[in-house]
Amino acid sequence: MKDLLAWSRHHWALLLGGGMLAVLAALTLAAPALYPEDPLSMVGPPDVRPFDEGFLFGTDSLGRDVAAGILHGARTSLLLGLVSTACSVLLGTGVGAVAGYFAGRVDDVLMRLTEFFQTIPSFMLALVLVAVLSPSIWTIVLAIAVVSWPPVARLVRAEFLSLRSRDFVKAAVVGGHPTHVIILRHILPNALTPIIVTGSLMVASAILLESALSFLGLGDRNNITWGFMIGAGRSMIRQAWWLSAIPGLAIFYTVLALNLLGQGLADLLNPLLARTRRA
Amino acid sequence: MRQLEFVVARLLKVVLVMFGIVVLNFFLVRLAPGDPATVLAGEAGAVDPQFMSEVRARYGLDRPIHEQLAIYVRRVATLDFGESYRIQRPAMDLIAERLPATLLLSLSAFVFAMAAGVALGVLAARRVGRWQDMAISVTALVFFAMPLFWVGLMAILLFSVQLGWLPAYGLETVGGGFSGLRRAFDIAAHLVLPATTLGLFYVAIYVRMTRASVLEVSRLDFVRTARAKGIREPRIWRRHILKNALLPVITLASLQAGSLVGGAVVTETVFAWPGVGRLAFEALGQRDYNLLLAIFAVTSAVVLLFNLVADIVYSLVDPRIEARA
Amino acid sequence: MISRRQLGALAGAAALSPALAAHAEEPRRGGRLNLIVQPEPASAFIGINRLGPSAFVGSKINEGLLSFGRDLKPRPMLAESWEVSPDGLTYVFRLRRNAAWHDGRPFTSADVVYSITEFLPKVFSRSRAVFTNVDRVTAVDAHTVELKMKHPFPGLLTVFERSGGTMVPRHIYEGTDPYRNPANEKPIGTGPFKFAEWRRGSFIRLERNENYWQPDRPYLDEIYFHVVPDANGRSVAFETGQVDVLRGGDVEWFEVRRLARLPEVEVTEAGWEFLSPLAWFNLNLRNPPLNDVRFRRALSHAIDRNFIVRTIFAGFGTPCDGPMTRGMAFSDPAAWTTYKYDTRAAIALLDEMGLRPGRDGIRAELRFLPLPYGETWLRLGDYLRERLRAIGIRLNVTPVDMPTLVQRVNAGDFDIFSNFVYMLPDPAMNFTQVYRSDMKAIGTSSNLGGYDNPELTAMLLRAERTQDRAERQRLYTEIQKILTRDVPILWTHEIGFLTLHRKKVRNLMATGLGTDDTLADTWLAG
Repeated sequence: MKDLLAWSRHHWALLLGGGMLAVLAALTLAAPALYPEDPLSMVGPPDVRPFDEGFLFGTDSLGRDVAAGILHGARTSLLLGLVSTACSVLLGTGVGAVAGYFAGRVDDVLMRLTEFFQTIPSFMLALVLVAVLSPSIWTIVLAIAVVSWPPVARLVRAEFLSLRSRDFVKAAVVGGHPTHVIILRHILPNALTPIIVTGSLMVASAILLESALSFLGLGDRNNITWGFMIGAGRSMIRQAWWLSAIPGLAIFYTVLALNLLGQGLADLLNPLLARTRRA
Repeated sequence: MRQLEFVVARLLKVVLVMFGIVVLNFFLVRLAPGDPATVLAGEAGAVDPQFMSEVRARYGLDRPIHEQLAIYVRRVATLDFGESYRIQRPAMDLIAERLPATLLLSLSAFVFAMAAGVALGVLAARRVGRWQDMAISVTALVFFAMPLFWVGLMAILLFSVQLGWLPAYGLETVGGGFSGLRRAFDIAAHLVLPATTLGLFYVAIYVRMTRASVLEVSRLDFVRTARAKGIREPRIWRRHILKNALLPVITLASLQAGSLVGGAVVTETVFAWPGVGRLAFEALGQRDYNLLLAIFAVTSAVVLLFNLVADIVYSLVDPRIEARA
Repeated sequence: MISRRQLGALAGAAALSPALAAHAEEPRRGGRLNLIVQPEPASAFIGINRLGPSAFVGSKINEGLLSFGRDLKPRPMLAESWEVSPDGLTYVFRLRRNAAWHDGRPFTSADVVYSITEFLPKVFSRSRAVFTNVDRVTAVDAHTVELKMKHPFPGLLTVFERSGGTMVPRHIYEGTDPYRNPANEKPIGTGPFKFAEWRRGSFIRLERNENYWQPDRPYLDEIYFHVVPDANGRSVAFETGQVDVLRGGDVEWFEVRRLARLPEVEVTEAGWEFLSPLAWFNLNLRNPPLNDVRFRRALSHAIDRNFIVRTIFAGFGTPCDGPMTRGMAFSDPAAWTTYKYDTRAAIALLDEMGLRPGRDGIRAELRFLPLPYGETWLRLGDYLRERLRAIGIRLNVTPVDMPTLVQRVNAGDFDIFSNFVYMLPDPAMNFTQVYRSDMKAIGTSSNLGGYDNPELTAMLLRAERTQDRAERQRLYTEIQKILTRDVPILWTHEIGFLTLHRKKVRNLMATGLGTDDTLADTWLAG
């Protein structure tokens, strides 16, 4: 009991972050049941203040229910964050793993490519991509993925470079395992922790990046997201602050939860990692 | 000799990367719907096929794309980035007018983020697990988690509209007619809000990195040895922990350069900061290919330069590492 | 609790400013006027760029022969008088003798002939279209110009304001490519203000023309146009007193209400009489089901124009069921067929067409492009999508930037897009172009939806060449009947652009062109 208390005191970030995310996930899943209407439909009078006329968070200038938007928007925003992160993690891990495992010339070429993408001011590149392809959920996901994979690649490469000279990898090579098996079964699991930690933070950055695109008028208009809500509500900040403050809080809540989780994971797993490395 | 080799290799890399970026974006922007002719025709109030084909012919936009690329690359090789279609002035002149503002903003934000981030990160690490650690981490996260434009807007409403302490927009007072020191103060006052807003976002990143790095270093053997030798704590911190813990922070700073310059687009929009990010956004919206490509080239060069400086600083802090290409 | 919405459009705000009522006071010389130009224009020369921002800045530098009062009657500008022969075939303009270009050269009839016959037809399609009706332009003497018409064209005078009839210096532009002339960077006009300085991304500065042809004008010493890219920033700039005026479109409509309540601030709807903007949805009549008039009528039934004006445009503007604004000559709303807001009627029309809902409740799917002019226009698109959903039509919205919009519209790659057009007082100017069948080809057009009605086209062309006013009215009434039956465009409302200004800014709206005029008569109270 005492141990558990001490453990949770030390890992407050992990517990808090995980708990916050669990609540969010539950609410997101409950959205269709709580608000069966399309969140983009006009269900009430415009500009209702929070808690007035039965609207928890009020309505926007077209009479759309802000609470419904928040819950339905959670799904799209989280999905957008998760999918774009998944894409960039896959891409980054692929590039990093190959570069780190094979080293030498392959590494050189892939790292030049990575540096190349890291040199282009990333937000500008995202802007160009979305403008070129016309804004929609999928082009935004693509743009975010394209600009956010390089750090993952660098990270994974570094892990692979250090892991490939370890005894257990050498043993596997001598044992005649095929290369892809060595990469996927032997090295990757050992490099997973930093990838997960980084990934949890990237979900948060993706949500923020979408809101920034939305601010510059390059958001998706057919699906409700928090970025869309904050971008649309921002122009009415002086008339109806809650229109942008509430989705802003939702973004903040999620990003905070993901960050805490990431930090908590790092704290939890880092010593373990250090131990395995020394082993 | 080594030094020279290093510089040459570095320059070569800069040229290669810039070339790649220009070519990539050359194709990218041409994929976008609409071209300079549609924009110019719309602005002139003469959207007719004849006008548009005249414009395309004037700028060689009617040629096959590989020819356009060949011509463009040949020109860029002589450092001629062409003229802005819309404003009809050399792209580099337009950038030169606006780049100082962006550099001022990005560097101020960077210095602020780095200083605050490292200081708070060290503090959090020294108080790890205590309330100070939690307070610092959460506060930093607050600013990391809020969209930049939202923070900026709030800052304007609070400090400019409500309190009237600081100017809300622009680089300096328009028509103020200040010069010398007074102008410098005027610009500094205008800089406070945008630089802080942009910097606050990065504070969290540096706090996190510094905290983790300090914790890791302080667990290492040489620190324990130093303590065992009876070296006094402040000296251990200064000479052993900080110096080593800063290395990954410098690497991170180097990697963040591109993001910092890019992130300035939003800040420049919110604060009407006459920088190059805003210029890029407008060039994109007007399919001003030459201008946009030149901006990409210049900002990338700035990022590469920043990386170079970071490498030099790195080698100064860490004597074990020699400058490498 | 009474919501703000329930109050009248301007209740609570300062009363409509009597922009003309400030005459009792003695005008004061001097001072600097701070304005906002949004977005930053490509050029300050109205001769090669007639979009709103350029016209706003450039209209202080370059002038036309005429201006137009708020009563839409022509007023002398560079022409101090003019005569039109009763048969409508001869126009004579007498020019100011003391007008001079900013470089010191005198302004003469040679400049006028050059501008009308060479410069304007080359650079501006509206002027080109209008001047095809002119047979010959001659300089009778240094200060008299005569126009001989091929046939009567009673709307002709309308084109001579500073945009359709920009006067440019012949000695600078003759024999050059107007778009590549170095003078475009520092335009040379005859106006009350001279171009002084442009710091891109920050401001444009104009200074007083000491040799202006009108004695003791302008009152102001200089004008600054601030560049502030974010709408909230523009509000703050006005609120904190850094700029003195906000024009329609500078801030979102809903923001105008709040700013109008600030102390020492006036709000006025004046100054847009000449441009007379009309908002509508362009429909692509080449695509089914939009090619079916019943479908278009159903769309017209499906939208509540009052809601659009009241809620989306914050109560500013006037709902409009037809193709002309009230201010335009020959507007005849009594002749219009109107389609009142009635979802049921809309659905009945769709049923009649045999356009039944599918299993998902959707009868048809359309692509919509919103005008990229800020949040209000995006919201208008959200509203349209919502109303069409109610009658079983799915509207897929793609927010695009301007080049994409122009490209897609010119390629006919759209179903609906939101738009507004400056109608100008005479229907021969912009109204005709929108509906002419010979302008419907993809990529060449002002008839963007491909509306094809040769009979109506013939009537439009006859009407613009009819000198007899009663006969002209008869023709335009008939045209309006046909158009409102065919519904080639979904007209929504006359836009109410509002101008906010500090009370110290006097006589801002001297003419029907408002802040788009020279501002020679505008002055600042102490």
